[in-house]
Amino acid sequence: MLVLFTDTDTDVTPEIAAKYGYRLISMPYSIDGKTVYPYVDFDKFDSHAYYDMLRSGVIPNTSALNKENYITYFEPVFAEGNDILYVHFSRAMSATFESMDQAVRELQEKYPERKFYEIDTKGISIISLNMLQEIGDMYLAGKTAEELVEWGRREADHFAVYFFADDLRFFRHSGRVSGIAGTMGTLLGIRPIIYMNEEGKMVSIGKEKGRQKAMDRLINYVVELGDNVKGHRVIIANSDTDEIVNELKNMLIEKFGKDLDIQIVDVNPTAGAHCGPNATGICFHSIHR
Amino acid sequence: MTIDSGAQAIHSDEYADLGAVAQAVAKGMLLGARGNSGVILSRIFSGIARGLQGSRTCDLKTLCHAFELGVDEAYRAVSVPVEGTILTVYKDAVRYAAEKLSGSSSAQSYFYDFTQELKRSLDRTPELLAVLKESGVVDSGGAGFIYIAEGMRRAVEGEAFEGEEEPQAAQKAVDVSLFTEDSVLDFGYCTEFLLRLQRAKTDIDSFDFPAFIDYLNSVGESVVAFRDGSIVKAHVHTMHPGQVLEYCQNYGEFLTLKIENMTLQHNESEVENRFSAPAPKPHKRYGIVSVAAGDGIKTTFYSLGVDWVIEGGQSMNPSAEDFVRAFREINADTILVFPNNGNVILTAKQAAELYDKAEIRIIPTKTVGEGYAAISMLDTSSGDTEQIIAEQREIIESVVTGAVSKASRNATMNGVNVVLGDYISFVGDDVYADEKTANAAAVALADKLGAGDYDIMLILCGRDTADGQRQALEAELKQRFRRTEVILIDGGQPIYDYIIVFE
Repeated sequence: MLVLFTDTDTDVTPEIAAKYGYRLISMPYSIDGKTVYPYVDFDKFDSHAYYDMLRSGVIPNTSALNKENYITYFEPVFAEGNDILYVHFSRAMSATFESMDQAVRELQEKYPERKFYEIDTKGISIISLNMLQEIGDMYLAGKTAEELVEWGRREADHFAVYFFADDLRFFRHSGRVSGIAGTMGTLLGIRPIIYMNEEGKMVSIGKEKGRQKAMDRLINYVVELGDNVKGHRVIIANSDTDEIVNELKNMLIEKFGKDLDIQIVDVNPTAGAHCGPNATGICFHSIHR
Repeated sequence: MTIDSGAQAIHSDEYADLGAVAQAVAKGMLLGARGNSGVILSRIFSGIARGLQGSRTCDLKTLCHAFELGVDEAYRAVSVPVEGTILTVYKDAVRYAAEKLSGSSSAQSYFYDFTQELKRSLDRTPELLAVLKESGVVDSGGAGFIYIAEGMRRAVEGEAFEGEEEPQAAQKAVDVSLFTEDSVLDFGYCTEFLLRLQRAKTDIDSFDFPAFIDYLNSVGESVVAFRDGSIVKAHVHTMHPGQVLEYCQNYGEFLTLKIENMTLQHNESEVENRFSAPAPKPHKRYGIVSVAAGDGIKTTFYSLGVDWVIEGGQSMNPSAEDFVRAFREINADTILVFPNNGNVILTAKQAAELYDKAEIRIIPTKTVGEGYAAISMLDTSSGDTEQIIAEQREIIESVVTGAVSKASRNATMNGVNVVLGDYISFVGDDVYADEKTANAAAVALADKLGAGDYDIMLILCGRDTADGQRQALEAELKQRFRRTEVILIDGGQPIYDYIIVFE
């Protein structure tokens, strides 16, 4: 049997995970030295409270899991004679996968019969969420691990995410976005536009002044780059930006019609440590990223 | 200040002739020019200097001609000459005094005519320039010029000057004890000269000035050099002045030459430029220079990536030399300059002409708001300077900068009854409201400009506004204009209680 895994950096909630049977690997963040494991240390993510705390000046840190953590997650599955398909966030964004590789190597020596499949969504937050849900649907429809891996390899470049934020302190602290010019220390209504490239890295590709222009630009990307947009979910992620989310949703409906499958989610707290509050992004099926 | 910098430029009385003195004064003024009138003034003197070039003495006819060249040069300095300013006042007086010239004229009579016509022309300036008439004033640059001309007239009359200050450099004696038998030369020599390019030595028309500057940079630091026809004026700090002199003599002969051991120099700013070389600055494709008054605004500019903020603004115009100094601080191929004041653009352009170690491009921002809007959206990643500048110009056009300030007199402007001591809000020269409080004036301005149609209202709070007052304004504007982002910054600027940028 194949057991699905994903991690909490994908914005997946326990409810969504349960729908497809994903087991959740909790990716930790820490504040003032206290480490928090999402959906282990709490059941429900209070997005508003968390991002308000960040607004007040708290900048959380995130840390990689160690080999033992992965062994704890994976070994029982192998021990029961099952295989693993792990749909995870971008390898290019974290050192955690080195620990995972060590753990997998060790376990495969111990369980040579068992198979470990992985799909690198080359994204974080909603690219991953969009893909893992489609993978989940196909899995439930009976696709094999090989077929799913092949789909993942083919499709990862066709889920694009574009987002903007309004506080660069978090990006600067995280160091995970390239191309954010030194010319943007104080944001003052300026919003860097960031996307996730084919390598699974966040890259800034410009900036817009004001909320409206930034939203217009996101919608333009969906229109320009969209490929069979209505055949897939369009997911809007936000770090506590209800107003913007609603406007984007309306703008999308206006462009694509009421039957567009729009899903709205909170940016998970670990990814949120990197983008900060007031970030909003759209993931859609695209010609390219 | 512009005149002062001309006077300071005369370092000794050993100039070859009258022309050389005039030249030194003019160059000093070109560097020291502040404000539009200052720049025009420096160009007047540079024209006069051209007219006196090579003259040991000068008669009235030569003087008339030189003054006329001052008119030419001044008019050429501004792309769109505005009548009713120092330009007109000076031109009228030059023409009038020239017409009155006759066989019986004396220097005294010439300067009498000259100053009389200056005054009459100044009185006519409100007729030529509506903004002066509306405000009930005459042109300030023209008025300033009268003092200068009066000084000339009185000198010609042989009158003594009261309270006159000697230029500093000439005043202080050199303290030779600062450099002893055992001293080590670590500051080098401040070497300044005027070099006359000679036809016998070089082809003057094709003289490679950039290569000349490169050479100076290779043997020294703090190079300032400019060329005016066959005259090259240069300033360099070098350990080996002899090499510089040898090199220069390949191309011409010296008109003036000054070499000072910098350990003995009293001018502290010179010693600051010491040879214990500062860490080399990383080279960049683009550097940014901006002008601002107020710590908060300066900090904002720096955080937006500006390399050098020159202190200045309304009634505190920076000099061309301030710009040149900023340019020297930046190691970039192209330096983008944001003057942020209509009265500073010309100074920046003048500085650009005086500097050739980088390409200097002026983005003609007339307000700090335009500067903020442009710099905050500056994207140099294309590397295409023309495109970058075109984008910046487009941004500037979409910005409206308003301000709130205390009225300094009673007047009726733009149909608004302005009362001394009230707070007025205005955009450029157009007054929009007169209110009893700065906040009310700001809100009235936002109302009249239709702030709700803008995406962002960025408010730079002046140094005299209290926290509570700022918060009250923010709350009121947010409540009135729900869709517009209201952003408050502690600008710390003088004069303006609020500078409001509508984008």
